[in-house]
Amino acid sequence: MEWKLRPARDLGLAAGDRWRSLKRERGLVGMAVHGAWRALLRLYFRLAHRLVVQGRENLPPPPFVLVANHSSHLDALVLAAMLRGEAARSAHALAAGEVFFGSRAGAAFAAYAINAFPIWRGRTKRGDLATLRERLVEDRLVYILFPEGTRSRDGQMGPFQAGLSSIVSGTGVPVVPCWIEGAHAAWPPQRRWPRPGRLSVRIGPALPSEDRAALTEACRAAVQRLSGAG
Amino acid sequence: MSTAFAHPVTVWIVSATVAVVAAAALAIGLLSVSGRVQPALRKELWLRLGSWCVLLPLMIGPVLAGREWTIGAVTLLGLLCYREYARATGLFRERLLSAVVVLGILAVNFAALDHWYGFFVALWPLTTCVLAVASIPLDRPAGYVQRVGLAVLGYMLFGAGLAHLGYMANDANYRPLVLLLLTAVALNDVAAFTCGKLIGGPKLLPATSPNKTISGALGAVVVTASVVALIGSALFGGTGMQAWHWLALFGVLVSVAGQSGDLMLSSIKRDIGIKDMGVVLPGHGGILDRFNSLLLVAPAVFHLIQYFIGFGLDQPVRLFTGGG
Repeated sequence: MEWKLRPARDLGLAAGDRWRSLKRERGLVGMAVHGAWRALLRLYFRLAHRLVVQGRENLPPPPFVLVANHSSHLDALVLAAMLRGEAARSAHALAAGEVFFGSRAGAAFAAYAINAFPIWRGRTKRGDLATLRERLVEDRLVYILFPEGTRSRDGQMGPFQAGLSSIVSGTGVPVVPCWIEGAHAAWPPQRRWPRPGRLSVRIGPALPSEDRAALTEACRAAVQRLSGAG
Repeated sequence: MSTAFAHPVTVWIVSATVAVVAAAALAIGLLSVSGRVQPALRKELWLRLGSWCVLLPLMIGPVLAGREWTIGAVTLLGLLCYREYARATGLFRERLLSAVVVLGILAVNFAALDHWYGFFVALWPLTTCVLAVASIPLDRPAGYVQRVGLAVLGYMLFGAGLAHLGYMANDANYRPLVLLLLTAVALNDVAAFTCGKLIGGPKLLPATSPNKTISGALGAVVVTASVVALIGSALFGGTGMQAWHWLALFGVLVSVAGQSGDLMLSSIKRDIGIKDMGVVLPGHGGILDRFNSLLLVAPAVFHLIQYFIGFGLDQPVRLFTGGG
């Protein structure tokens, strides 16, 4: 009998490097911190935003990629908070490295609480994308991704970047479109802190990720349809 | 403070440790000034010394501070060592078993803190039983032997085994003995390295640890056993262990168990294909790379002394559970 000893992907990295690494894997402490953070988020969204989630039955078992419109810092938090069970535990938001991982304290918070992976604008290497693809499939992860690339300043959904298809196409991993309503009103990019207000998330049927050329537009159209404007 | 340094052996060991660190700093400083060492080696030497300057107060301080501090420090050491082991072997992905091992480590150290020997020894088989059945309800037989085997070994080394060091603190005169063990395993490493370099000769186990030599291993046994037996004579006078042959056995046991712990970790690392267990201690690697020698020494020495003398027999028992 041959044992399959598989060390942590991030073995040998110092703490700061580990928090910023796409190879980061959590242990019991990381899971406990993330679980406590998710519980706090759920309570906050229920009390402050009376969050309503529709279409939860469309969520497949991991792995999958959640894509949505992006107009607020609340977006990644609300998508992470609405997930349950194994999907919630294995969810990673792909976040702007410059914004969330710039300082040591910020990186620790983004890694332990939000469970985010950094994407560095203009500095993402082919190896990084390969790591993201590999982990998505092998570790059966859930990625929370905003293909617009940045928050919309006016709440209108912008064009989707092609980075989504680079990560997911050819993996066989489904993409789940979502529409987030109310986040821009509650916490637009121009405000320093969020204010209470109704939030809702509509989850659409999963899309196959095989057709790389059409994937980006298909995802945008699916998200647009969920907004009711499509 | 007067209690902490009540035994002369405690004063000797702490003084000698401070003196060795000061001498090492002086020697490295002289080598650096003379330019006789390469910059890379110089940096490595300073890094190692710096790590020791942080580690030694963290090791010696709790022992001097008292029983609760000693057991607390051993608990923390066990948890940190297990974390490195679990990440290196991949056991951390088995969350349920990992949680059971962590609970087992906490429980066995609580038994030491409670001074409840019956529970302390019972936890070894009991935790093994829990580990054997915990993952069965997952209905995932693939990999069962591997995950349970890794978990049982992890609990044995970092829970049940290492906790013997903490349990020793239930004895009124634990300080000199625990300090002796902490410093003797370090001396053992240095003696093996120095003897191996000075004498050379055939390798000990080249596939497991290519830098170790037979002369180094035997030299370490002679040096460590002599020093430990000599200090042991000041510790165990008037007890069943005062005979020279038992003191010699005590010294040899510290050296052989220390080297065995080192080789055991080397075997684990070779099997996995990694060089170090972590990067926490600059110049050393992981915490487990530094404390591997202590893992087997603690239970081996505990049961030798327990056979002849016992630990804390005149002290109150079951301090928290109150069943004594």
